[in-house]
Amino acid sequence: MSTAEHLETSAAVGLGTRTRRARRRPRVLGGTWWRHVLAILVILWALFPIAYVTSAAFNANQTLGSATLVPERVTLDNFRYLVEGEVPGRPGDPPTEVPYLRWYANTMIIAACTAVLTVLLGALAAYAFSRFRFKGRRLGLLALLLIQMFPQLLLVVAIYLIVLHTGAVFGFIGLNTLTGLILVYLGGVMGVNVWLMKGFFDTIPAELDESARVDGATPAQVFWGVILPLAAPVLAVIGLFSFIGVVNEFVIASVLLQEQDKFTLARGLWGFIDQKYSENWGTFSAGVLLAAPPVVILFLFLQKFIVSGLTGGAVKG
Amino acid sequence: MSTTAVRAEAPARDTLAQTALSLPSRAVAVFSGPLGLALKILLLALVNGIAVWAAIVLADAGKWPAFAVLAVTTLALDAAYLVRRALPLKFLLPGTLLMLAFQVIPIFYTVNVAFTNYSTGHILAKNEAVEGIQLNSLAPLENAKSYLMAPARDADGNLVLLLVDEATGDTFVGTREALTPIERDKVQVDELGVAGAEGYTLVTGPGLVAIDRELTAYTVPTDGAAAIRPEGLGVASELAPTLRYDAARDRFVRISDGVVFTDNDRGSFAAASGEELEPGWKTSIGFSNFSRIAKSPLVRDPFLRVFVWTFAFAFLAVLLSFVLGLLLAIALDKPGMRLQRSYRTLLVLPYAIPGFLSLLVWQGLLNDDFGVVNRVTGLDVPWLFDSNWAKVSVILVSVWLTFPYFFLISLGALQSIPAELTEAARVDGGGPWQVFRRVTLPLLLIVVAPLMIASFAFNFNNFGNIYFLTGGGPASSDQTTAGDTDILISYTYKLAFASGKGQDYGLASGVALIIFFIVATISSLAFWRTNALENIR
Repeated sequence: MSTAEHLETSAAVGLGTRTRRARRRPRVLGGTWWRHVLAILVILWALFPIAYVTSAAFNANQTLGSATLVPERVTLDNFRYLVEGEVPGRPGDPPTEVPYLRWYANTMIIAACTAVLTVLLGALAAYAFSRFRFKGRRLGLLALLLIQMFPQLLLVVAIYLIVLHTGAVFGFIGLNTLTGLILVYLGGVMGVNVWLMKGFFDTIPAELDESARVDGATPAQVFWGVILPLAAPVLAVIGLFSFIGVVNEFVIASVLLQEQDKFTLARGLWGFIDQKYSENWGTFSAGVLLAAPPVVILFLFLQKFIVSGLTGGAVKG
Repeated sequence: MSTTAVRAEAPARDTLAQTALSLPSRAVAVFSGPLGLALKILLLALVNGIAVWAAIVLADAGKWPAFAVLAVTTLALDAAYLVRRALPLKFLLPGTLLMLAFQVIPIFYTVNVAFTNYSTGHILAKNEAVEGIQLNSLAPLENAKSYLMAPARDADGNLVLLLVDEATGDTFVGTREALTPIERDKVQVDELGVAGAEGYTLVTGPGLVAIDRELTAYTVPTDGAAAIRPEGLGVASELAPTLRYDAARDRFVRISDGVVFTDNDRGSFAAASGEELEPGWKTSIGFSNFSRIAKSPLVRDPFLRVFVWTFAFAFLAVLLSFVLGLLLAIALDKPGMRLQRSYRTLLVLPYAIPGFLSLLVWQGLLNDDFGVVNRVTGLDVPWLFDSNWAKVSVILVSVWLTFPYFFLISLGALQSIPAELTEAARVDGGGPWQVFRRVTLPLLLIVVAPLMIASFAFNFNNFGNIYFLTGGGPASSDQTTAGDTDILISYTYKLAFASGKGQDYGLASGVALIIFFIVATISSLAFWRTNALENIR
């Protein structure tokens, strides 16, 4: 491939010209104004929906049709409705019940439990794949990949039946229970996550394990004491992605959780906007505004790891 | 997509390693000996305790197969953790068990269903379908009587029906054995129906709910095959079957004209004329679902349309996101540029916000009646309700959601390209464009290409983007289940669960298998390119 040749030649040339690094870049790309223009234009587009949602959340005027960028009258009513769990209807109509805080709590509980357990169980498996050589290891790794490629969406019928029948005997993991949904999500622990963690564990020098083993540590102790602390960044990133994945998951959550009080945010807000679409735009926006921060903050906080994780080492080989 | 490639960051490792060197001894100190053992025993005891409790519950409910599975699993668990050997298994078991329960078994189930006719009208087992057909075939006799009816219990607590002939006013007690006349003045009738009878207690209120099923199946035989059956809670009428089931030869015969309905091997009793009896049952039909996709115009045409659009959607969404992300990365890859960090944070926001929220918001903004987009731009575009515009919207919103991902990756990759390489190319006389095309881009693609393929595979099955934004709509002109923006996965979802045209779970599972093979092919391509499989050390 020509790409590879390019790489080699340019790398070779690169070695010879080290001393000229300080050379200035050509003028055409040197100006910065176009960089600012492009960035600002795209940012405007990127922030457009966010700005409107923010404005609508504080706007006294509920409806979608009259939403303006600058609220006519600023109010916290929309947030109050969500906290109280009831949106007043139009005059004469009954109020709409919105157990928003419940949805919020459900989502956070499910996402947090799933994320923590995913990291834990995934790391256990990744450790086995990274540190032990056993029969069926290669096959096992391939099987994990293949299984993940099956469209999960279609499994929902079988999953529903399993949870239904289990729940008939053990109510606490049946339909309409958070525990049941968490268990189902944990069924997806073994997969890409394990691959990623295994990849990271592989980069942790085996000498560390060995020195610990010499000190008398068992494999379990090496796992808890050496591998896990060293892998903290990748564990954090996988936990975050698992958290985001669960927050975004809609189909399984809506099939297994059918009572309004058990909804997740995705199911709840979807139903809310579906019912009274343009009428409750303001309250919906407030709901969006409250729902986004946990994930956004987590994301920005871990951004450094994500970027280095996505690109690190790739060019270096 | 987001979980595609998280790799080690090499530089951080060295310092971490030093800290870690002191960790083992500490870990050993804390977890070695009695404490570690105690923890292990405690955990195992807990698992066994739960298992024993669950076993008792299962035995109590008479679920013996489940009981057996539980017992075997628990024993296997104990064996795995108590025996010194099989070390890897100890680490793999927890995740694997969950995977078996909620992924592998459902996959086997779904694959199995792909070779059946499981769909609306073919849900029951055969014997249930036979019962259903018999029940459906009941029709009022020519001069059938109808009765006011009330369920009641006799002195012994048996369920009976108190019946009053609507035409004559004759009163009866109906049991499962026979219809017996009783004296008229023993039965009280008011404007609501039968109000009571001497020697019988009416079933009322919550009691009615409890006997609902029993009542539906209750028959009072009258003459030959005819019987009185309750219709609801207050009336009953005399019905006779129009079909006779011949169990020995497994066929139905229509009593009026003698037409014979035989098992057609596709889950229905059918006459020679092709007429089928409802309901059918679930049965294996081999590769029929797949041959329908290949041959039947009703299935093939929408499938092909959706198939092409799925590729177009995934390809365009990834390509445009990459181009925009790369442009931005190039723009912001300038050391010492002002506001660089702020720009970066703001640009990443669409990616950081949970996708379902953004999609629902976009759905509102693009609404053509009240939508903000039309009002702000002064346009009057049917963003979500015109076939072509809806496709444009879907792609635009997907780009909005995804470009920050490629921006982040491209920026990271650009910064990791050694400056020597581009410098050298320039010294050799390359213009900026040439340097970019021949040095920067190829290097960048080494990093980004696998992620693009992964992103493509992700978008290929990006149910949320379609479902939350357009719901697959607008409805297609060919009046099929597949809307104009449906991709394979949302089409499959509609086939299986959500279409107004009946559900075809068998066909949906077939399509799911096809999707699986496509995604597996794309992914193995990606892995082949990156040689990841070679690296399983």
